[in-house]
Amino acid sequence: MSPEMRQFLEKEREKVKKNRIKNKPLVVMTYLFVLVFIGMFSYLIYFMVKDTDTVVAKSSNKRQDSFDKYVTRGDIITSDGVVLATTEKDAEGEETRVYPYGSLFAHTVGYNSYGRSGIELSENVNLMRSHVNIFSKVGSDLASEKNIGDTIVTSLDVNLQQAAADALGDARGAVVVLEASTGRILTMYSNPTFDPNDIDNVWASVHSDEGSSSTVLLNRATQGLYAPGSTFKIITLLEYMKEHPDYENYHHTCYGSDIFNSVSIRCSNSAAHGDLDLAGTLAHSCNTSVANIGCNEIDIGELNKLAESLLYNGELPYDGEYSRSQFKLTADSNYSEIPQTVIGQGDTLVTPLHNALIMQAIANGGVLMKPSLVDSVQNADGVTLINYKSKSCGSIIDPELTQDIIPMLCQVVTDGTATQYLGSKPYTVAGKTGTAEYDNSGNCNSWFVGYSNVENPDIVISVVVEDYTTNQTSGTYVASCVFDAYYGY
Amino acid sequence: MANLICKTSKYLVLVFMALYTIKCYTYFTAKDREKRNSNLNKQIFYIFMIHFLCHIMLFINKEDVTVLIYYVVEIIIAILYIVLFRIFYKNSSKLMTNNVAFLMLIGYTVLLRLSPKLAVRQFILASIGLGVTIFIPFILGKFRNMKDRYILFGIFGILLLLSVFLPGVGKVVNGSRNWIDLKFISLQPMEFVKIIFIFFVASSLVKLSTLKELIINAAISAGFMLVLVLEKDFGAVMLFYVVYFSMVYLATSRAIFPILGLIFMVAACALGYMLFKDSLFAHIVVRVLAWKNPFAYQDTYGYQVCESLFGISSGGFAGTGLGNGMPYLIPVAESDFIFSAICEELGVIFGLALILIYLSGFIAMQNIAMKCKQPFYKYVTFGIAISYIFQVFLNIGGAIKFIPSTGVTLPLVSYGMSSVFSTLICFAIVQFVYILVSKEADDFEKERERIAYGEGSQNVSRNETVPGKRTRKSKEK
Repeated sequence: MSPEMRQFLEKEREKVKKNRIKNKPLVVMTYLFVLVFIGMFSYLIYFMVKDTDTVVAKSSNKRQDSFDKYVTRGDIITSDGVVLATTEKDAEGEETRVYPYGSLFAHTVGYNSYGRSGIELSENVNLMRSHVNIFSKVGSDLASEKNIGDTIVTSLDVNLQQAAADALGDARGAVVVLEASTGRILTMYSNPTFDPNDIDNVWASVHSDEGSSSTVLLNRATQGLYAPGSTFKIITLLEYMKEHPDYENYHHTCYGSDIFNSVSIRCSNSAAHGDLDLAGTLAHSCNTSVANIGCNEIDIGELNKLAESLLYNGELPYDGEYSRSQFKLTADSNYSEIPQTVIGQGDTLVTPLHNALIMQAIANGGVLMKPSLVDSVQNADGVTLINYKSKSCGSIIDPELTQDIIPMLCQVVTDGTATQYLGSKPYTVAGKTGTAEYDNSGNCNSWFVGYSNVENPDIVISVVVEDYTTNQTSGTYVASCVFDAYYGY
Repeated sequence: MANLICKTSKYLVLVFMALYTIKCYTYFTAKDREKRNSNLNKQIFYIFMIHFLCHIMLFINKEDVTVLIYYVVEIIIAILYIVLFRIFYKNSSKLMTNNVAFLMLIGYTVLLRLSPKLAVRQFILASIGLGVTIFIPFILGKFRNMKDRYILFGIFGILLLLSVFLPGVGKVVNGSRNWIDLKFISLQPMEFVKIIFIFFVASSLVKLSTLKELIINAAISAGFMLVLVLEKDFGAVMLFYVVYFSMVYLATSRAIFPILGLIFMVAACALGYMLFKDSLFAHIVVRVLAWKNPFAYQDTYGYQVCESLFGISSGGFAGTGLGNGMPYLIPVAESDFIFSAICEELGVIFGLALILIYLSGFIAMQNIAMKCKQPFYKYVTFGIAISYIFQVFLNIGGAIKFIPSTGVTLPLVSYGMSSVFSTLICFAIVQFVYILVSKEADDFEKERERIAYGEGSQNVSRNETVPGKRTRKSKEK
């Protein structure tokens, strides 16, 4: 190699070396951005794997409506396979949503237009997604046919729902039945009801001038707020028992009416109950005795805490639409509000579902099970895709207190206000009646909350009947009809 | 049957997309030129297949014959561009021309799906852009004293930025005053000032010798960014900021500058937030809130991000197929959120591949900057590469809720004439540097040959190897 060549190559090598040193920041920045892009790349995959299902299911996702180009909306059925909602296709391929039971499940199953409601709304995404096997899918692709959406298996029971509807008759009101140990909702009925097959006309009439005050679309079971009436006495008594472990020594003499904190409190029909212990107080739903407890025996601040731990003023563990119950009495409230509030009048409001949940917790020894309407999701061929297990929401009442109050709730049935309808049944029931005045002219709603088979609770029921005074259908009567249907009498 | 064709096309597009992406990377690992060239030719085949299949889907879904006309015209322009570039510049980077053609065709396709009117405008303007920018490497070759013009770049750049404040010409769009309306056409001066800014920083950094000069340079650069802050164009501020500090880092080789830059940025953001929370920064606060939890504000400022996420997640990994989704529900789907529209209909797999393709373009640019031995062009290429990749990051990151959205376009795919033009200019400049680098390598080879020939009488064996090498090389070209 000539010196000239050597020199030339040497110079070149020098240049390359210098350039390499200069390039260090370049390499660093390149790696930095490669790293950032790997991060972004992985984030997108992570989003797709983890978050898509929840994002797609958001009710504000308008794209859900486009699924019907490829999928025929799936069925909604009961756990024993009775169809509650299905899609029928005519010769032209025109689809209509059909509800074989008409108005019976209107509020619970819901309707599939005008923004949807009920299960049609909450399970919309599952109904519009098809998980039929791959061969059927390719087959329908080739034939340009739609796939059939997944089936929603509900916990509803047609017999019980029918019994509740029949017992309620024309009376306005609501019935909720839960399976005690799991929280599965067997019945959820609200009256007045409507026919979802005819939703166009119903919607038009509700949104016309005459119908603007109509509450027909309201699901009273979850959204109707009622004064709890005497059913609230359970909570007042639980508080008393909590503060007074010697509650068995309680005594009160009822004269039919009395003055508490300068408020006059009367028992039903001003009938004097005479000498009562705590169990007798509950069994006969004695207003003066409970007012006495509220005004003289318990700490109102603690009562408020207990009510809130029993889900007043808070969220219910329920996925559908519901109204929040309210309990306004606090330690700072005017003391003249105490007597009315502790017997379930005043500003307190509760939904039938909420009242059922309190009773269910008592039946379960304090443990609340999350109420659910959907058991599972199946594909159109009946293969289970998702199985929803019953979920516990933890203990909300001291188990010992529930053990103490259950015999008293039994006495309501054996020797108390519920004896007329439930006293002589072949099954045992624990519960509480209630008559809640909602105006000053003596009009009232009738309640019953309770559960059957006290030793090993089967079902929990919560009934409210509006305008008891005019239609004379009591909550206890409706409950007895549903229990009869459940046990097959 | 139509349905079957659509579905098959959808999956085939994903397959070709994956192959194209792989070829973008194997280009760097290919051992010899022959392999590289075959890679590049395969890429062109994939581009045409993807484009063809997409238009088949569009044709079936829209049942509109004009789609076929668009298809033919688009493909002719793309072929013309690739061929002409190869003829004009023998040494040009074919990987880069492929990527430009590919991204532009994807852009046309998605725009055609969203709004044929926009697609036609984009197509006409971009074709003009291609026609004009094809001469840029040639023109740059004539102006060899660019690196002395930093005062000119500085003044011209800031004046151009300030043009948006001219009454009657400046226009406010989406809360940022960053447009000028010239009656027949609307422009975003920032897109062009970006390039001038890179030239300004590069030319002054080349001359840099004292700290004082660096401070003056920093002050003028801060002037650029201040104007952008006043325009409330915060995406652009970030872009200029990152580009500036990256370039200073490259010129000084001192990591302390980008680190200082980062600290300063955090401090400035905190201070700005405290002082101007309700005025100047209100714009940013809203975007950050929409990023943290878009669904909490889905009726107000979270709306865009929510719709974008709905689109991406409803499409799934494979997408709904072109024409089957509802990308038109996403606000500004044609520019800021075009990535979501792509993901929804062409699939997230397509989107992921697109991320990798953009990244490969960046690596290719950095590769060129690395080989370039002239500091000025090295800095310019580097600045362009950083601005390009950072813009992609801001756009895609914003669309998928990786970072708050900043209202930056996706290079070459988004609708917007300023953006497309400026990106084409950037690519043309990088092409010029690539040609420069190839020429340097050739010059070196020639010089070596000259010396080797001179030695010819003394060393026969070397004499034989060098011409041998040369003939093989010329055959490849």
